[in-house]
Amino acid sequence: MSGTFSLRGVRLPAVQLSGAATVGMLVVAVIVNSALQPNFWSGYALTSNFATFVPLVAIAVGQTIVVLSGGIDLSLGAQVTLASVVAVRVVDGQLDRLPQAVAAALGVGLVCGALNGLVVALVRLQPIVATFATSFVFSGLALVVLPTPGGSVPLEVTTAYRAAVLGLPVALLAILGLALLWWALRRHRVLRHVYAVGGDPEAAYASLVPVARTRVSAYVLGGLFAALAALAVLANTGSGDPFVGNELTLASVAAVVIGGTSLAGGRGGAGGSMLGAIVLALVTNIVFFADVPTTYRQLVNGAVIILALALAGIPALQKRRPAA
Amino acid sequence: MSALLEMTGVRKRYGGVQALDGASLTAVRGEVHALLGPNGSGKSTLDKTLAGTVVPDSGEIRIDGAEARIGGPRDAHALGIAAVYQQLSVVGDLTVTQNVVLGLEPARRLGFLDHRAARVRAATALERFAAAFSGRLPLDRPAASLGPGEQQIVEVAKALAREPRVLVLDEATASLHKEQVEVLFEVVRELRAAGVLVVFTSHRLDEVFALCDRATVLRNGRTVATVDLSSTTEDALVQLMVAAPAQTPVETPDAPQGASRHVEAPVSGRTAESGAVALVVRGLTTDRLRDVSFTVRAGEVLGLGGLQGQGQSELLLALFGAARITAGDALLDGKALPLTSPARAARAGVALVPGDRARQGMFASRPIQENLSLASMRRRARLKLALSAAAERRAARSMVERLSIKIGSLNDPVATLSGGNQQKVVIGKWLLDQPRVVLLDDPAKGVDVAAKEEIYAIVRGLAAEGAVVILNSSDNRELTELSDRVLVLFEGAVAEELTAASITENRLVSSALRLAPGETL
Repeated sequence: MSGTFSLRGVRLPAVQLSGAATVGMLVVAVIVNSALQPNFWSGYALTSNFATFVPLVAIAVGQTIVVLSGGIDLSLGAQVTLASVVAVRVVDGQLDRLPQAVAAALGVGLVCGALNGLVVALVRLQPIVATFATSFVFSGLALVVLPTPGGSVPLEVTTAYRAAVLGLPVALLAILGLALLWWALRRHRVLRHVYAVGGDPEAAYASLVPVARTRVSAYVLGGLFAALAALAVLANTGSGDPFVGNELTLASVAAVVIGGTSLAGGRGGAGGSMLGAIVLALVTNIVFFADVPTTYRQLVNGAVIILALALAGIPALQKRRPAA
Repeated sequence: MSALLEMTGVRKRYGGVQALDGASLTAVRGEVHALLGPNGSGKSTLDKTLAGTVVPDSGEIRIDGAEARIGGPRDAHALGIAAVYQQLSVVGDLTVTQNVVLGLEPARRLGFLDHRAARVRAATALERFAAAFSGRLPLDRPAASLGPGEQQIVEVAKALAREPRVLVLDEATASLHKEQVEVLFEVVRELRAAGVLVVFTSHRLDEVFALCDRATVLRNGRTVATVDLSSTTEDALVQLMVAAPAQTPVETPDAPQGASRHVEAPVSGRTAESGAVALVVRGLTTDRLRDVSFTVRAGEVLGLGGLQGQGQSELLLALFGAARITAGDALLDGKALPLTSPARAARAGVALVPGDRARQGMFASRPIQENLSLASMRRRARLKLALSAAAERRAARSMVERLSIKIGSLNDPVATLSGGNQQKVVIGKWLLDQPRVVLLDDPAKGVDVAAKEEIYAIVRGLAAEGAVVILNSSDNRELTELSDRVLVLFEGAVAEELTAASITENRLVSSALRLAPGETL
């Protein structure tokens, strides 16, 4: 009702960061990193850096789509784990089974995303609770599929992943490929509806947008990007690990916020999240090369992420929402 | 001519409120049909059942003689019905073009968007309104960057792009400038000439007479009459909206209520004019209020009237420190009232019984005792720390007796009570804090008749004890029964002040309705 007001007066502050701030953080991270990491700009270091970026970049794109739709997916990391262990069991070191392994990973992402979407859109559980719960289901299944780290990826895959085409690292091409995928999705009706549903679900419903179907689609797309992340993880590490995705969930949310997408939904985009993901990966690098003792690494990492999120929040505090 | 649209026996219930109670509407092709009625008469709900955003509990809708089942907006669209809502359905983050084609985006193969076709469609729809936009059509601007009137035009263009047979305009002129209204009317007349049925809901009677052919009047969710506007006067329409013509001779319109009010008068503290001025509000301004000034005496009940959503709730929130105030202040007994937070306002003696009881007034799943005690805990806390359960129970018990709240046990959740008793708990919570100023936002909304009377008695009792009472009500009869004075608000400003004998339902309705746009500026 237009005549009623919330006692709180304002909506959940839509934490959003401008593009300039995201780029600024990226520049700072690159400068600090190149000062600390020997040969940061050498071909080898660049290749191995990009190789570690890809999984986080992919999962950040997936998280962005879910957040844009007004939801959040705390099971994306578990989906990466499940898709990767299933794929590694399918491929089992044999190159000729690679297509089946890729299909299996994407299938896992599809099913997991569909499950989340149904629980959120049809059963109408809170996304934060529902996906936190399904994350345990997915992690549990991953442990059943592959109880201990193991399995192997064909050597050709890991080699190709660290190779270069026309002087460009394959991993960098993978990131560009993800950007291209996002570019194509932006031109698709589904993403338009995702923005509308995240921006104002009631208005979208009244405007003939299929709201529930759009929400499900957002989670399915999230799952598919988690599957792509899983494939990148396998190509990078060469073997399966039933805990590999644990840290990716929070990092994906952090990348979305640093990248300037509003957690309230409907505003932002995956371009910023991809930069945000690279910032986060560089921070991990910096902590490593700054000779922080192993025991303190997680602490420092967490502190830096909080700092980045705080920076992301401050402009939102200063800038008042225009009266809609 | 046979009817294009026939709605009969439409009923819809929201919780305890029967919004539609057998409403009907019959309209033909090439007609502009007004839907009129006072606040809460069910106009918007009837519009929404037609548009599919509300599904009625029962009733029949026929389009072109064939029974139509409208279970959602998509069904309505398939039947050729498009709606422009009172509450905008524009998505602010999307561009104007994206909004106009939203839900029906032109696409090429595999669902990839056809931007060019979208622009063409949006431009075609908006072209007729070119005069309403100064300069070029803002096709690529985010909708949120447009003014409210321009957003409303985008909303209308969106409905037109759907090429409807039936166009529902629900308060579509409320946020438009005069020039924009004229452009819209021109478009509506073109549509009428093309055989479209336009259902037009507005509370501006001058617009209704300027544009519409016939009018259907609703009251309390029922259709009272359908009249031909060329042979009707404004007064006759207001009469239809206010009271049943059979019971009320036109000469002495509000005799029954007037009589009852005089009986109530001594009880309601109408003699309180002798009390000293307690609350002074000077130039209060927020983003929804414009320069509101008034005074209230101790023991006086000040009513807030006017159409819904003209700033009444915002005024109460502002006095309770829950709105961002850009100018103005308030004095209570000569001392500045802190308007910066509800906690400070409460400490200074202000209490607010909010309009949305379930969300803002109570903790539904918590015990009655806890709910009653909550706002005044600091009065009972020892050393500001320890709260004795016995003291809390005593306080709650006293309030249950004083307000005769019907409860099982003090430990039952509030949610187990009836609406009227829940509201009494919400009021009692604040009375335990012994407030000097009691702000009531539609306190009797959605409670049954008996509970209403009890709540009225509480309001009168508060005034009799010398409190300053400010009452917002969407029910004009309630205002006439309880208020010593009524401020009629319009677009966030005080439009008129009614005192004593001039507080009648007729005056309230006509004062709220007859303001021409911009007249109060």
